Amino acid sequence: MNAFLTDLFISTQGWLFDRLVQPVLFALGLAGYVEMGFEGIEFVLMGILELGIAYTVLRPLEAFWPAERWRNRRAVRVDVMYTLLNRLGIIPLAVFTLLAPAFMALDGWLRFHDVIPRQLEDWLPGLDTHPLASFLIYLLILDFAEYWRHRLSHTLGGWWALHGIHHSQRQMSFWTDSRNHLLDDLIAGIWFAGLSLLIGVPPGHFIGLLVTLRLVENLSHTNTRLGFGRFGDYLIVGPRYHRWHHAIDLPEGEAYRHGCNFAILLPVWDVLFGTLHLGAKLPATGIHEDSPDAMAARDDFWGQQKLGLILMWRALAPRRRRSGAT
Amino acid sequence: MTPLRLTASLALTLSLVSHGLHAETAIILNSVDESVSFVDTRSYQETGRAPVCKEPHHLMAMPDDSAVIIACAVSNELVFLDPRTGKELKRIKNISDPYQIGFSPDKTWFVTNSLRLDRVDLYRAADFSLAARIPAAKTPSHMAFDKASQFVFITLQDNNEVLAIDLKTRQPAWRHPVGLTPAGIHMTPDDRYLLVGIMGADYVEVIDWRARKTVTRIVTARGAHNFLPRGDGRHVFVSNRTINGSISLVDMQDLRVVERYDVPGGPDDMEIRADGKELWATARFARKVQVVNLEQKQLSHSIRVGRSPHGVSFINHAPRQ
Repeated sequence: MNAFLTDLFISTQGWLFDRLVQPVLFALGLAGYVEMGFEGIEFVLMGILELGIAYTVLRPLEAFWPAERWRNRRAVRVDVMYTLLNRLGIIPLAVFTLLAPAFMALDGWLRFHDVIPRQLEDWLPGLDTHPLASFLIYLLILDFAEYWRHRLSHTLGGWWALHGIHHSQRQMSFWTDSRNHLLDDLIAGIWFAGLSLLIGVPPGHFIGLLVTLRLVENLSHTNTRLGFGRFGDYLIVGPRYHRWHHAIDLPEGEAYRHGCNFAILLPVWDVLFGTLHLGAKLPATGIHEDSPDAMAARDDFWGQQKLGLILMWRALAPRRRRSGAT
Repeated sequence: MTPLRLTASLALTLSLVSHGLHAETAIILNSVDESVSFVDTRSYQETGRAPVCKEPHHLMAMPDDSAVIIACAVSNELVFLDPRTGKELKRIKNISDPYQIGFSPDKTWFVTNSLRLDRVDLYRAADFSLAARIPAAKTPSHMAFDKASQFVFITLQDNNEVLAIDLKTRQPAWRHPVGLTPAGIHMTPDDRYLLVGIMGADYVEVIDWRARKTVTRIVTARGAHNFLPRGDGRHVFVSNRTINGSISLVDMQDLRVVERYDVPGGPDDMEIRADGKELWATARFARKVQVVNLEQKQLSHSIRVGRSPHGVSFINHAPRQ
């Protein structure tokens, strides 16, 4: 079965490469990019596979064991669009195109000055030949970094203006995971890929790490009553846990001024940094929009993009005025 | 010892001796999986797989066949494996981003191309200490040497050029324009011509390197990529790396294609058996090693290995000429 599925995957990848990608690359004189093109198809196929798994497993949970019952799912449509842009590789490709040349230039400059950046394996040589241990350690490091990226996106006003788009969904479903302002996606991509390159995440691990985190994020946004129990909620982020992060009314207390439950995969970060909240009820999700524009943009892709930029501008503007006055 | 036990013991010994004499391991490098596969060349089965390092690209046997060297681009190191067993012998760290590697014929220089960082590094082959770091924009890919070890010739994939570096002065000597996206490069046995695989087209460009002049083109097939000499001092295999790829056999005296074999899956790096009967090629896009029976002139075995196989080596190979 496993061999059959692997063969099916490879032959699909080969067919798409042969019919769609390879002819275009040769026609454009970009034969040097064929390997990248081939691996790009794998990235897209993994995204489709991931979506298939999420839909097969999570959609029934939403249908049969929902946290909220909705009259219709119209509000979810825009999140589906975000998800397709993300999983079909369009947003990751944009991030890669912007990030790769800058990183190569920096790395090249360092090497010419005899600086070879240290990697995790330089301190833990055994990791070279223990891919599972290496995978888990990198996952831990990246998840830790993701916790802080996420927390900062709630704390810094300009960033929150963008990230608020993600939280504006009042019908949160497993599709909501990808509902992000494009600039927020870009920042997140630079954060994740930049750190991965800095600490030397093996390229072979990269897709696996990304898929692991994305599947858990799909699960945690699912509209379901599912929780992992008293102890389970301390082990891995689930729908009940993450629902509190999206609560329209945050729990009371100074610790939760900017939000709670920022962890992506492991709740331990919320425990360690005092942002954990495990409530018994299932709160409503969303944010309190304070303008008609914001309400109108709730279900509109381009409206959200525009609104995010305007809000970010407003959030940053006072600081500029202050610095201009001094 | 009873006659029965004696017979059994003799049979076992003969079996082991027989296995030791004939069993041979091919070492396959899986770039994306960051592992090496071990393939029994008699049964054509993968017998094992081991993690090796971060993003290994290309392998080569030491000139005396004492080890197979794996170039680990992302982890900045060389891993040395026993060519018979695949067991790790040693690692050399701080070899910056090695993509392609090669020894000069006089074994003075060990050269690494950094495709990603646009650079060629010269190391002293005796102790792998760095001697020079030479800018080589853009995307230095494959390499070849002249017989006197005066020059190393590098294809610059995104510049459509061949760069010659003088190994005595350790400086770039000249550049020569070639076709679109040059990849593999090979010196003819008479030391007269450089053959350059023009991956962006369908031919091998022939350069009289002393005159710095392109003399002809040998049309092979789309994606002309890499070279491996047959070992007879006259012919060289050219892999045409596309999904429905092929391998051409080129006569280096007459400068023409004499045979072609269909090898699907993006054939890239190759190795040939000492008896000249089998050609092995890694199929980058199929996760396979393809074996061509050169007597029947067709594919005889396809062996599943890891993702993006990018190098094959076995000890019982034909001479590199």
